[in-house]
Amino acid sequence: MPLISIKDVSKLYGFGDATTVALDEVNLDVEAGEFVAIMGPSGSGKSTLMNIIGLLDRPTHGGYSLSNRSVEKLRPNQRAKMRRDKIGYVFQSFNLLPKLTVIENVSLPLLYKGVSSVKRLRRAADVLDRVGLSDRQYFMPKALSGGQIQRVAIARALVSDPQIIIADEPTGNLDSTASLIIMELLSELHRTGNTILMVTHNPELTRYADRVVYMHDGSIVHDQRTPLGEVPAMAKKAMYLFPRKSEEDDLIGVSTMMNFRPEKADPKPKKRRSSKSTKKPRSTTRRKKVPHA
Amino acid sequence: MHSGNFKLAFKTLRSSKWQSTLTMFGIIIGIVSVITTVSLGEGIKHQVLGEINHLGSDLITVRAGRGVVRDDSGAIIKINPEFMYGFGSGSLSDQDVAIIQGSKLIKESSPIRLYSGSAKVENREYPDGFIIGSSPALPNLLQQKVEFGNYFSEAEDNRLVAVIGKRVAEQLFRENIPVGQTFSLRGQDFIVRGVFEEFKPGLLGQGIDLNKAIFVPNASIKEVVGTAAPVVRVLARPKSVAESNNAAIAISKELRASHGGQNDITVLRQSENFEVTGGVLDILTAFIAAIAGISLLVGGIGIMNIMLVSVSERTYEIGIRKAVGATNRQIRSQFMAEAIMLSAVGGILGISISFALNFIIRVLTNLSPIITWPVVAIAFGVAFGVGVVFGTIPAVKAARKDPIDALRIGH
Repeated sequence: MPLISIKDVSKLYGFGDATTVALDEVNLDVEAGEFVAIMGPSGSGKSTLMNIIGLLDRPTHGGYSLSNRSVEKLRPNQRAKMRRDKIGYVFQSFNLLPKLTVIENVSLPLLYKGVSSVKRLRRAADVLDRVGLSDRQYFMPKALSGGQIQRVAIARALVSDPQIIIADEPTGNLDSTASLIIMELLSELHRTGNTILMVTHNPELTRYADRVVYMHDGSIVHDQRTPLGEVPAMAKKAMYLFPRKSEEDDLIGVSTMMNFRPEKADPKPKKRRSSKSTKKPRSTTRRKKVPHA
Repeated sequence: MHSGNFKLAFKTLRSSKWQSTLTMFGIIIGIVSVITTVSLGEGIKHQVLGEINHLGSDLITVRAGRGVVRDDSGAIIKINPEFMYGFGSGSLSDQDVAIIQGSKLIKESSPIRLYSGSAKVENREYPDGFIIGSSPALPNLLQQKVEFGNYFSEAEDNRLVAVIGKRVAEQLFRENIPVGQTFSLRGQDFIVRGVFEEFKPGLLGQGIDLNKAIFVPNASIKEVVGTAAPVVRVLARPKSVAESNNAAIAISKELRASHGGQNDITVLRQSENFEVTGGVLDILTAFIAAIAGISLLVGGIGIMNIMLVSVSERTYEIGIRKAVGATNRQIRSQFMAEAIMLSAVGGILGISISFALNFIIRVLTNLSPIITWPVVAIAFGVAFGVGVVFGTIPAVKAARKDPIDALRIGH
């Protein structure tokens, strides 16, 4: 049995005429130990899928079983406990608590697990050592660079020894050097047996994954196993293969309508909010300013 | 709810010092006002108790009007506060005075004839003062010594002499011992022949300061001002302490008989007097404390308000905490801990300030408020309870936040 098994999962927002489909009967099985990269344009439902897999959100329809346990109908408290024990999160916008020190941030999941203070700090120190930040334990997050903050976030995700790491554009706000460090870290976690799900827009990063999933309009349109270290040709094309929508398209769309040029009209029906992105496709996830890029 | 929550709560509250302090002010003011009003009431009651001991428990006070309602056995079942404050209203007749004086069980008695006109010395008036006509037994009845000179005797009942209180000496005559000086009252000159020792406040009733009184013989004041000086009290002492109850009943019966069976005279023994005054004070204190209690409630609403603001300000934080595995209960406990800490710290500060204020009142005024532990405990309990109750709604609200929404909206 796969570790993660998603059957016909749909996620709808709103109701009546205003219903938008974020996920449209998605099926996905992920085996333990896989490193899955998920690609797709903005609004294609990547983040929604990650939130459902990460038990932050629940599907409107469909079944989800996590390590052979059906979880779509769990009560909020049980979901919180599953989240705490099985899943580690790394967000694009880091999401550390600004008023807590690095080590307090890292040990937060253990606090909710009820681990004693001494054990908590010892474990957090171990994990921080693993991400190479043992000398930053008592820093406040704002005193760290973006790359360091993301390493702290990874340490926090690792602290409760979860089976699954979910990384939603972990390098989205980082420069290439910092991105490399983060990806090496994730890669190492993969080698040590963690299951990793990563949303990315950067085709280069798929070389760390052994499976690449492409999403579009709330569906999985392509699912491909790739050898580690190789960027599948599909990934390079992915950005251009599927029509996408941007502010520029909108503007051009308006002018084309005025010029009666139907070929330039927006091919995609309007779903959810249009993203603010310009040339580079970006996540709809709102992003935080990077304090020290 | 483990200690980590309180540590965390402390940290959070410390990081927004102003907000926390102002919130606690609500609770602090509530606690201080409740404790202080109750302690003032308690202090006044205590003073009254002291006066009872001073006057002797066998003293009988007769006043006009139906101040109390008694059951068949003579126990007081109801008090009419409006009759009991100050000198009260209504007056006793000369006949009543004579009946009390003539009662077999009474050793000595004195009418208190009140004239509120003012005396003049060299065109100086003394508007605060009042004049009391009494029999020579008064110093004995009040157990008050005449410090300089002496009180007038039975034989001097018609003479224009006076014994004065200390304030009168200081403020009207502007000297300490104005013995031998004269003042005029309705054109008649009275000679001062004595000065009383300092009276304790509240003798004869709340709000009456006998230090401002001029004491003159009963007959002479009646002659000078006539009906303008009604008899507001008769003080009497029985022949023995043991007979005080019987004497009071006897007087009561005799007076009722002479009033044609009408129950319009109040005869109180001193212990009852205390009970009555204490009862009136208790009602007053409870009333004021209830008003003060409202400020505690307002303080609680302040806590709720600040916690609600805090919840919406910290949506993002709640989202992160939930994402890393905090259960609803754990989030709720965290916010409850903050509310509890606010009210508990506010409560403790309020109690400390109450004690400080108590000290200041004692130093600066002649009131002596008494803080009793039950009052402190109740005030703290109420403050704490208010914090818990009003902290619950925001905490539940925080706990129910959807993690995904909290992460999306919160920053």
